Amino acid sequence: MTDDVMIELQHVSKSYRGQQTPAVEDVSMTIRRGEIIVLVGPSGCGKTTTMKMINRLIEPTSGRILVDGSDVTSLDPTDLRRRIGYVIQQVGLFPHMTVATNIGLVPKMLGWSRTRIEARVDELLHLVGLEPGHFRNRLPRQLSGGQQQRVGVARALAADPPVMLMDEPFGATDPLTRDRLQNEFLRLQEKLQKTIVFVTHDFDEAIKMGSRIAVLGERSRIRQFDTPEQLLSNPADQTVAQFIGAGASLKQLNLRRVGAIDVDEAVLVRLDDTPTSALRRLDESGEWAVLSVDSERRPQRWITARDLDPQQDTLDGAGGPVTTVELHATLHDALDAMLASSSGATVVVDDAGRYRGVVNIDRLMRAIAEMREMQRNRDRPVTESPEGTATRTPPTQRSGIPATGDGESR
Amino acid sequence: MSASSVASHQAEVAPPSRWRGLLRRHATMPLLLAAALLVTYLWLRASKLDDIEQRSLNAEHLLRVTRQHISITAMTTLFVVLIAVSGGILLTRPVLRWLTPYATALANVGQATPAIGLLVLLSIWLGIGATTALIGLVAYSVLPVLRNTIVGIDQVDRHLIEAGRGIGMSPIAVLFRIELPLAIPVILAGVRTALVLAVGVATLATFINAGGLGGLIVTGIKLQRDPVLITGAVLTGALALTLDWLGGVLSDLLRPRGLD
Repeated sequence: MTDDVMIELQHVSKSYRGQQTPAVEDVSMTIRRGEIIVLVGPSGCGKTTTMKMINRLIEPTSGRILVDGSDVTSLDPTDLRRRIGYVIQQVGLFPHMTVATNIGLVPKMLGWSRTRIEARVDELLHLVGLEPGHFRNRLPRQLSGGQQQRVGVARALAADPPVMLMDEPFGATDPLTRDRLQNEFLRLQEKLQKTIVFVTHDFDEAIKMGSRIAVLGERSRIRQFDTPEQLLSNPADQTVAQFIGAGASLKQLNLRRVGAIDVDEAVLVRLDDTPTSALRRLDESGEWAVLSVDSERRPQRWITARDLDPQQDTLDGAGGPVTTVELHATLHDALDAMLASSSGATVVVDDAGRYRGVVNIDRLMRAIAEMREMQRNRDRPVTESPEGTATRTPPTQRSGIPATGDGESR
Repeated sequence: MSASSVASHQAEVAPPSRWRGLLRRHATMPLLLAAALLVTYLWLRASKLDDIEQRSLNAEHLLRVTRQHISITAMTTLFVVLIAVSGGILLTRPVLRWLTPYATALANVGQATPAIGLLVLLSIWLGIGATTALIGLVAYSVLPVLRNTIVGIDQVDRHLIEAGRGIGMSPIAVLFRIELPLAIPVILAGVRTALVLAVGVATLATFINAGGLGGLIVTGIKLQRDPVLITGAVLTGALALTLDWLGGVLSDLLRPRGLD
């Protein structure tokens, strides 16, 4: 075992008394430091059971599980769990404790001082995008579902565990919130570099979140354990292909992020500019519209020549609505935003909502073409493994991964 | 219940309004009780009491039997809470789960046996006196508290317990920081029921020479002295309602905030 490996499952099985077939049968899997491994499969396939064996909420019947080199059964379960963050779909915030108490529970049990806990709570609330002064003393009931799940993530991160287990963490939120939480979490993960085991039944979520994805069948048997790109282009068998579902090529849009492609520049005007000057800039540029931004460079509206009224003093209120996507949004999100926008283009913004560029349908098509090109190169038998797409995963894990997962290759 | 909707109205409620809410919800009962006691007192003072009645209905005697009654009830409650709450906790641990049906069945026997029969049987076995009365009363009132403790702990959302264990809380911490606080309202409801039961059943203690307000009632019936009988009944009733009222106030104060 190398230093690179964080979690290792060796022939792990779980059978329950009185049940003929085991719930989990002979699963082997190696998880590297800093990876997000997604366990995906139909409900009842044992993916949650597999995950819970890692922090010993469920004890395996046979096999070994190593976390950071030590056999979990040799560790005190409570100590073990304090080093493994845990997030569940139902969030599980304690309703009778404030947000701060919820987050500070584990640090308190670890014997941190009060000032250190308070500082940590505030830091974590900031991290998950909740204003500490506003949320610290609230009760879980007073938060929206998305806010609750953010607090759930903050609580799991409280003692800075190297490993996180997440069981359908965003499953109970509405699609819009889920999307935002996913993006925020990916951004967080870029900073934190945790090793994450993520369980979901939603294949689209798996593609979006995973560095590698294990598609599980009955009894948690691994059907394919691979990168999202490989899964989409080379499903191991019919069942996996069925599970991926229709539109595999469309789903590949989930594999690239807006921040990774080139963006165009829009012609910017400020809200306090005069319509006359805006019209001049529009004419000079030859574009179909200019984009108005506020003093913080946050995009406001698309303004065409028709929207400009020379009688007005400023551009406030002129033009049509703008759709925006964050740098962490996928190309799929960008396509969605474009289709929703009358302009056929969407504005890329940074974390603070400030203008970064514009993506239109031509840009998107070019990005898709690039992706297909890269895929063709990879599928071709080459001696050197291509590194071009390894932006989301450590390059080392690219080479030598067979199309079928570790569990199948035993 | 209006109590919970007011209590949970806002977490940032300033303390004064919480007290005002308590006052509003719980002020009626003491006033009613005071009125009932006053009316009884005035009626007794206006009526001519004969020799026998005066022997029972004087301040000294009344205070003594009331004190006896309260002390029997208080001791019963103490032991019931100790036995039933700890029993309920043990019976909800995974290791002892299988025992739960047997334990509830046993507690059921205690409650289903007619109280007077239970006391008489116990006194044949253990002799008469306050200790026997106490044991009988405890056996009689353990069930509601035991059952409510089990139910109260069982109704705590399994996901909360799993989340607690999952983030690394020890089993003891899960019990004391999650299960018990969230079970408190249900447990206290059981204690309230047990208290009221105990006050009523404690009137039977007089039959095995353990004193209490039951003496007044028995005397009143045997010697056909209505004032004595009525005074005993009013005092017992007032005591039961007072304790129920206290239980209500207590459960409002101890209800964990943040619950719907």
